[in-house]
Amino acid sequence: MTLHQLTVPEAFAGTIAMLLLVVQLTLFRSVVISEFIRVYAVQAWLVAAICLGVGVTEHGWDLIVLAALTLLFKGILLPRYMQSLARGISARIELPARINVLLSLLIAGALIGVSILVSVQLPLHQGAFLPKADLATALSMVFVGFLVAILRPNALAQVVAFLTLEDGLFFGTITLAPGLPFIIGILLLIDVLVAVVVFAVLVRALVDQQSAASVTVFQRLQG
Amino acid sequence: MRVAIIAIPIIAAGLSLVLPSRITRVLTAIAGVATAGCILGIVTATAEGHTVLDALSALFLIPVGIVYGTVGIYSTWYVRAESIGADGDERYRREFLALTNAFACAEAVIPLLTNMAGLWVALEVTTILAALLVRLQGTEASLEAAWKYILIASCGLALGLIGVVVLYASGTAVFGSHYAPEWSNYIAMAGKLNGDALRLAFLLALIGFGTKMGLAPMHTWLPDAHGAGPTPTSAMLSGVLLSDALYVITRFASIANAAFGPTMTQRLFFIVGLLSLFIGAFFLLQQRDIKRMLAYSSIEHMGIVACGLAFGVHLAVAGALLHVINHAATKTLAFFGAGRLAARFGTREIAGITGGVAVMPVSGTLFALAGLALAGMPPFGTFRSEIMVLTGGFSAGGWPIAAVVLGLLLVAFTGLVRWTMGVTAGYLPEGMSRGERDLGAIGSMLLTFIVVLGLGLFVPAHLSALLERASEIIGGRS
Repeated sequence: MTLHQLTVPEAFAGTIAMLLLVVQLTLFRSVVISEFIRVYAVQAWLVAAICLGVGVTEHGWDLIVLAALTLLFKGILLPRYMQSLARGISARIELPARINVLLSLLIAGALIGVSILVSVQLPLHQGAFLPKADLATALSMVFVGFLVAILRPNALAQVVAFLTLEDGLFFGTITLAPGLPFIIGILLLIDVLVAVVVFAVLVRALVDQQSAASVTVFQRLQG
Repeated sequence: MRVAIIAIPIIAAGLSLVLPSRITRVLTAIAGVATAGCILGIVTATAEGHTVLDALSALFLIPVGIVYGTVGIYSTWYVRAESIGADGDERYRREFLALTNAFACAEAVIPLLTNMAGLWVALEVTTILAALLVRLQGTEASLEAAWKYILIASCGLALGLIGVVVLYASGTAVFGSHYAPEWSNYIAMAGKLNGDALRLAFLLALIGFGTKMGLAPMHTWLPDAHGAGPTPTSAMLSGVLLSDALYVITRFASIANAAFGPTMTQRLFFIVGLLSLFIGAFFLLQQRDIKRMLAYSSIEHMGIVACGLAFGVHLAVAGALLHVINHAATKTLAFFGAGRLAARFGTREIAGITGGVAVMPVSGTLFALAGLALAGMPPFGTFRSEIMVLTGGFSAGGWPIAAVVLGLLLVAFTGLVRWTMGVTAGYLPEGMSRGERDLGAIGSMLLTFIVVLGLGLFVPAHLSALLERASEIIGGRS
């Protein structure tokens, strides 16, 4: 599909999809945990915007409600909770990285390339809301989330990486399976909230044991 | 009866939070046995064609019954004897019993579901509960294991959910944009689904849910979680959770097989199966921790199951499904024995445990027998199912792969027998007394052993019927 054939909603959605990925890529250059959390909050707002866009276009009130809940929980409450968790551990947690930003972006680029290659093979869309790039975007967000979790050996950073990965899933369910989102979207939302609570329990235990949120100490279990 | 299978453990979980553990540990045992009874009833009814469940669901309920039934009884000893928290206090006991019952409920729900999105949700719930259970002991190792587990399993499940979404998208041309993602819908219209999307969905499901199943190379969480968690949790993770993840994969495989034949699914099962067998077998040779040894054995056995599904012929697929049940019972017995020995000797290091039979005549002997069963020795159930898988493989013309499987089984055999005999054989160590009087633990181990041995001696007619029908379902021929 070429650009001039795009309708306004498609162009809007395509732009948001691109922004989602770009925002996620900024995680590679963030150096403190508060930046990580802000990036996640921005991504959550973008996901809520996509959800709202699909809801308005398809007259799906359930999706509009889901967009509001996403904005409230993932865009406002969860980031605030994460910030307070980070402050409770340390006023300013600097995040180490296993490799430099350029190399991280190159690997991320390769993963996005793989996602695009997989997606273009699939004739998935029969009048769906978004351009074909939606599967590629969802897969890319999941892979980049993986990569951030691997490259940032800090518990809170890994939690944020997991949350951005979940945003990729949320985006995928809304765009690829328009009949599915409300149930799965609500469950994903609950899942994220519960998972964050469990992660918080583990992070606090880690800090109690190690006096730091670094997961580089997780070298004991090997072989 | 399906409601009871879910309601009993969830009520037990709720009561475990509010009542003293001296009451709820007995309650947990009763809940486990009652749930096992309900599962036996529903499995029998399914075999006779009296329920709405299909044979595949009924088969995957059996490990839940075996493991939850015996874990409940074993836990009556565990919460008293094995140190759970630093001081084994009441709060830990309550949390352990509540989480164990809730975890059993989540594990029991999965085989009852055929909604592909619902399956993902149920598996995600098990991840959260299992992470809390693994963390419960409060040690550095348990924290590390819980962290790795929840992170890796959640990432795996993320791919699994994309698999579900792509599967949903593959059906929109047939069912419209709003439909229930029921397995039966997909099977009924398999030929009309989008083939490319279906292939991608299966691949994502195999990688995503295969992470939860412990298939290599996505297995890295498994030795840590199984090794560091409380012993009953290790049994539930290994005996049931791995089979639950396999259940989801088989549902995807059946749709793919019905849509475009078994070639692709078989090839992928071969890749992950052989890799899992290879990693499980060779890592078994170098283990120092008794529970991590059993964890690597789980990876190896999941490899056997995957290879059985890959061979595709009825005998091998039925053997793989029977192996799921045999593995659940045998691994539960082995973890029970390992937990007993580790508690008595005060270490999980293999080098620190010797003369297990001399010290604990019943638990030590049953652990030794479980080790031999895991190694595939006759007359135990695992021997029967492994022979079915291998015979099916050779008869299907896949003899080079069957020969590789056989070779890797021999490697695993060497490791398992070496370590099992190492910890159980020998004289009574100096300073240790002989004997054991813990009825709950011994009773649960003897019950599990009856299943381990019984399924080697004969397969009940009802179970045979279910195996036959379930292998047809996986082949996409239902």
